[in-house]
Amino acid sequence: MSGPIFEVLRVLVVEDNQHMRSLLRSLLNSIGIREVYEAANGSSALDVLREKPCDLVLSDLAMQPMDGIDFTREVRLSPRSTNPFLPIIMVTGHTERHKVEAARDAGVTEFIAKPITAQSLFTRIGEIVERPRAFVRCESYFGPDRRRKAQEDYAGPWRRHGDLHDLQVQ
Amino acid sequence: MKKKAQVIPPDAYPQMVSKSDAIKMARVLRAPETAARAARVIQDAGQKLRQGVHDYVRELEAATGNRQVIFEKAHEIRGFAETAGLRATGRIAAGLCRYFEEMGKLGAVPDNAVITLHVSAIVRAAHAKDEVNRAGDAVVKELAALVAHKLAEARAVIAG
Repeated sequence: MSGPIFEVLRVLVVEDNQHMRSLLRSLLNSIGIREVYEAANGSSALDVLREKPCDLVLSDLAMQPMDGIDFTREVRLSPRSTNPFLPIIMVTGHTERHKVEAARDAGVTEFIAKPITAQSLFTRIGEIVERPRAFVRCESYFGPDRRRKAQEDYAGPWRRHGDLHDLQVQ
Repeated sequence: MKKKAQVIPPDAYPQMVSKSDAIKMARVLRAPETAARAARVIQDAGQKLRQGVHDYVRELEAATGNRQVIFEKAHEIRGFAETAGLRATGRIAAGLCRYFEEMGKLGAVPDNAVITLHVSAIVRAAHAKDEVNRAGDAVVKELAALVAHKLAEARAVIAG
């Protein structure tokens, strides 16, 4: 059941911990993904992407010399990026609010908090394939829409020109 | 005047798979047999993962006095000890990370005694034959209570 449908996908795992890389690879293999590439940091990951265009990235946050946030920024904003829309799942033990917000503002698509479970990984991959996010481009940001859903009771300031129109349409 | 934000809907940029394949994939990802296969993968990887945790624990022990290295190693242990089946080890490491992070937010210096207690508990838990046992849970709870107490103390000092 898991085989052929996932064989078309190419996934890049960016993680400085060899054991975690190996586990993620095995979990991806278990659903039938055969083409899994590995990189130990953001800089090596960019090199891999230039050689092997991928459909999905699983990336750690804290790595040297380039961390997951700078890597994401490069993918989204660099003129040399091969795919600025590439889905990036950040797999991280850093769940402090400021780090999560920094990753989100760099353009990360989804988060998984370590310790990971197969369920958390598969749920996020499922979200990405089944409900791809719209992208937003403005002066200060390019990446997946950071608004997950419309908040009917939102009382804060309007931030986008289309906000009032969106509200009326809904 | 700010430029209008451009919203690019999913249909307007290349998707990794077609809509029909996406539905099939999502079905596979939710299937009980997929979860069972993944559980076996994690179980099979357990020995190697535990070896990885033990490597970090050795580095943690060797980092005596170096708070930055202790935090980094504890962070790595928190990240995957539980996946390796070392639940108590992971939770003690998570408690130590929380202590570092909260003290950092308060601008306070972490207490060496609290760090030492956590490090020795991580070392003992990681090498215990039956790591997931009541004693492990009890240590996790006691250390969590100690962290809560120390954080309250630090907040009280700051509040004057």
